[in-house]
Amino acid sequence: MPLQILLILVVGGIAAVAVLLHLTGRSRQTYLDEGKARAAWSRQFPEQPAARVLVAQNGKAALVAPEAGQPPLGLVWSFGADAVARDLQHLHLSKTARGLQLQFSDFGAPRANLRLNPAEIEQWHRIIAAQSFDAASGEQSNTAGRPS
Amino acid sequence: MMDSLSYPDVTQWAVPFFIAAILAEFLWIAIKGRGGRYETRDAVTSLIMGAGSVASGILLGFIAWGFFMVLWRITPLDLGTSIWVIILCFVLDDLRYYWVHRLGHRIRWVWASHVNHHSSQHYNLTTALRQTWTGTFSFIMIIRAPLVLLGFHPALVLFVGGINLVYQFWIHTEAIGKMPRWFEAVMNTPSHHRAHHGRNPRYLDCNYAGVFIIWDKIFGTFVPEQKDDPVDYGLVFNIASFNPLRVAFHEWVAIYRDVTQPGLSWKQRLLYALAPPGYSHDGSRDNSETIKAKHLIRNPNDRGTPGF
Ligand SMILES: [Zn+2]
Ligand SMILES: [Zn+2]
Repeated sequence: MPLQILLILVVGGIAAVAVLLHLTGRSRQTYLDEGKARAAWSRQFPEQPAARVLVAQNGKAALVAPEAGQPPLGLVWSFGADAVARDLQHLHLSKTARGLQLQFSDFGAPRANLRLNPAEIEQWHRIIAAQSFDAASGEQSNTAGRPS
Repeated sequence: MMDSLSYPDVTQWAVPFFIAAILAEFLWIAIKGRGGRYETRDAVTSLIMGAGSVASGILLGFIAWGFFMVLWRITPLDLGTSIWVIILCFVLDDLRYYWVHRLGHRIRWVWASHVNHHSSQHYNLTTALRQTWTGTFSFIMIIRAPLVLLGFHPALVLFVGGINLVYQFWIHTEAIGKMPRWFEAVMNTPSHHRAHHGRNPRYLDCNYAGVFIIWDKIFGTFVPEQKDDPVDYGLVFNIASFNPLRVAFHEWVAIYRDVTQPGLSWKQRLLYALAPPGYSHDGSRDNSETIKAKHLIRNPNDRGTPGF
């Protein structure tokens, strides 16, 4: 096939698919509630059940404390229509204008940009820095209790 | 001996059909409300991976081609290009594909190239086009050498390999449940290949077939899709990036980091590159055997069922 025609087909085809999917609402990010966050966590770490889960107000991320109560904590965040999970080891944590940025030393999962409200930014920063939910002062009402 | 045999590049000519089929599958899912999921960035990444794979073939294809032409000069055999030779070549090349694919899952160096095909959490026709950019660096083209040495012209070998890849396009769908019984018994189908894309412990390292599922049945790697264990698509450890460069190169980078970490013996460095994915010198990672074993501890009733 002539290269020019191939190029037009490929670029046009990708653009058409992208526009069609976007206009029909296929760009929406998955919304995590506590159950979904828990399921996404156990899907990735079936050997370390989540004891406590703290879901961000916008439903795009959740902090996870594994059952054993030992660090590291974990993070679940929405990734397109799906979710991904990582434990919070070897990361660089920084505050951004609208949330937190977590940089991992993982080429396939370089960073998670979390949008959080101002109170959450402080709370999550403390929790992640201390690797403990107990660092969340006075805002325990958001956290889920141990599963019965 | 002929040197200038040429066949059409089937993967390139199939591009218009790919686009039409993707649109048709999307419409079918949208109308029926079942049979798969599409996500914008996931689909676009898959399509860019496909385009990049064709581009890398155009740019780097000469390396494999040169290698095959050297073999073609060496071999005294020439089977010609009769229809029976083409059919025989297609079947033997499918056996070649089975082993290339199996090694692609069991040798990390080859997995680094193939992993991107499994890196989507979706399974639709765009997933079929999520193809490698780095196949040349896996050196896996040596598995084609016997075909050329047997007297199949390199152009014929690449031609039937292209048909093989085009066949595999349509099986990347959830819109088709099961094909007729006889077809499921002989051919690779959406159902069989869905299982291959599963990250469930049961489905790890199964159904490597290209066109004929019989190879998996012969070599003991066949696992039928189970109704009570729906396929969970993606990698055991899913990546968190839609960036095509990260999708294409993440496992190569991971190999580099593992091999160059301080304090390892040369054997350990070699194993990080060549052992099955999941190898670690200190046993800190899981491979498919340990994942299956741990699953069976959590779910003892699955022992003895397909895949365990
Ligand atoms: Zn595969
Ligand atoms: Zn596939």
